[in-house]
Amino acid sequence: MRLEGAHIAIGAESIITKVALWDRSFVLKTRPSKPYLIPAIDSSLRASRTSRECKGLNVARSLGVPTPAVHAIDLNDYSILMDYIPGTPLKQVASTLGSTTLGNLCYRFGRIIAKLHRGGMVHGDPTTSNLLITSNEKTWIIDFGLSEMNATVEMKGVDLHLIKRALETSHWDMQENMLSRTIEGYVDELGKEAEPVLERMDAIRERGRYH
Amino acid sequence: MTICLGLEGTAHSFGAGIVSSEGLVLSNVWDMLRPDEGGIHPREASQHHAYLGPLLIRQSIDDAGISPKQIDIIAFSQGPGLGPCLRTTATMARSLSLHLGVPLIGVNHCVAHIEIGSLESGFNDPVTIYVSGGNSQVIAFAGGRYRTFGETLDIAIGNMLDVFGRHVGMRFPAGPKVEKLAKMGSTYHTLPYSVKGMDISYSGMLTSARRLFDEGLPLDDICYSIQETAFGMLAEVAERAIAHTKKNEVLLTGGVARNNRLTEILQGVADRHGARFHRVSPPLAGDQGAMIAWTGILQYGVGDTLEISSSGVLPKWRTDEQDIGWKE
Ligand SMILES: Nc1ncnc2c1ncn2[C@@H]1O[C@H](COP(=O)(O)OP(=O)(O)O)[C@@H](O)[C@H]1O
Ligand SMILES: [Mg+2]
Repeated sequence: MRLEGAHIAIGAESIITKVALWDRSFVLKTRPSKPYLIPAIDSSLRASRTSRECKGLNVARSLGVPTPAVHAIDLNDYSILMDYIPGTPLKQVASTLGSTTLGNLCYRFGRIIAKLHRGGMVHGDPTTSNLLITSNEKTWIIDFGLSEMNATVEMKGVDLHLIKRALETSHWDMQENMLSRTIEGYVDELGKEAEPVLERMDAIRERGRYH
Repeated sequence: MTICLGLEGTAHSFGAGIVSSEGLVLSNVWDMLRPDEGGIHPREASQHHAYLGPLLIRQSIDDAGISPKQIDIIAFSQGPGLGPCLRTTATMARSLSLHLGVPLIGVNHCVAHIEIGSLESGFNDPVTIYVSGGNSQVIAFAGGRYRTFGETLDIAIGNMLDVFGRHVGMRFPAGPKVEKLAKMGSTYHTLPYSVKGMDISYSGMLTSARRLFDEGLPLDDICYSIQETAFGMLAEVAERAIAHTKKNEVLLTGGVARNNRLTEILQGVADRHGARFHRVSPPLAGDQGAMIAWTGILQYGVGDTLEISSSGVLPKWRTDEQDIGWKE
């Protein structure tokens, strides 16, 4: 899509541009090519992640999870036009918040992930960079390029494992509080269904090495 | 000057190395058990260590041209790794420490890989990609610890290459042979590319690669496809870690660091982010004693020594459980 605007984020994965149209703000998310991948892998990833992202944002929305609405998708340049959310990633604000407020946001993060899981979907990259907090403390979740449908217990366990990992590497001094409140939200939302997933999360952590 | 003897024995290799507090590697010898069939057997590996350990220790002292009395510290790989191997190595370290009357230091194997790589490269604060038969991890320093940003969710990259190699009749370790054949391949066959957050999974692509072979596709094309897929995944998570931590040094280490295609890809990732890149040289990239000795010296500097009574091995010791007091 050819739209003018200012870059607001350049990540490893995408270029995020804020564009103004019809007196409103939108975000254009484009996935550039990764020169270190061979073209066959590169183009198939760009295509599959772009379409997964659209699908994920929409399915999440239908499950009652706040996500930006998708307005257009262009599979020629792997771009998506979606609503601009006037918020800040939790990762950036976490250290400025009191532990109660932070805990409450994490609790909501846990409920959001649980709603996705109940709907048979995993987020795939559930980090605190992908949770946007608006001024009224509403939580939005974005970045569904790695999301998957028909989720199994294993896939959900990996999702929780990734949350734990993200808290460990980005919020090491607050990780206990953040993790326990996230899990609390997850369990409150899912009830008994949460048990096998939590067990799997612990099992996954033990893998990947000789022992 | 302090002189440290380091013993490494977490898996199928046993190594003894001697390093000085000036960062000079005075000697570094090791031997690797090569299993003929199947993966590594912990008990066989520990017998290998018990049998060859004393000879290798003797050789490291001779190579360094010192007398045992000049050794100031004994360091050993306390974990993580295979229980029987760790215990055999720890027993040797404890008796040396008692016999020579010098302090004992327990070193984390993964931390040691990063520290010896940092010594060789002169890097201060790298994103480390540690790839071997038993590990595939992306590690960086944050909040006083080395933290694992991403790792494999199932099998390590080296193990994946070896299992595939065994399936198609290659000898252990299969990595070098896969690399050689991959150079002659040109047709890419799609293999499952599995990145989850900053973690990766290799078991799906292993299964598919074996199937392609059973279907009779040319082996060089399969090897090419395996390398491009497996290394692409690793490069992607490395890039995410670099973008996330904003660090400007990239260190590649572990046995699989020998692979030139992987090096080329990661060099490209580093360039894209204006980061310096270093591949640890083969003698210091694999499992060996010099890395344990050097990390022992760093730990000794901050008083991180062990009493014999509390020197039990830690088979599941996580990288972020070791305090890194020598770095600010
Ligand atoms: N719809 C949006 N509204 C506001 N900011 C956004 C939106 N989408 C992305 N961003 C900003 O851009 C950053 C990167 O976007 P993200 O979709 O997570 O891409 P990546 O896959 O590169 O991580 C986010 O952390 C957020 O700050
Ligand atoms: Mg993101």
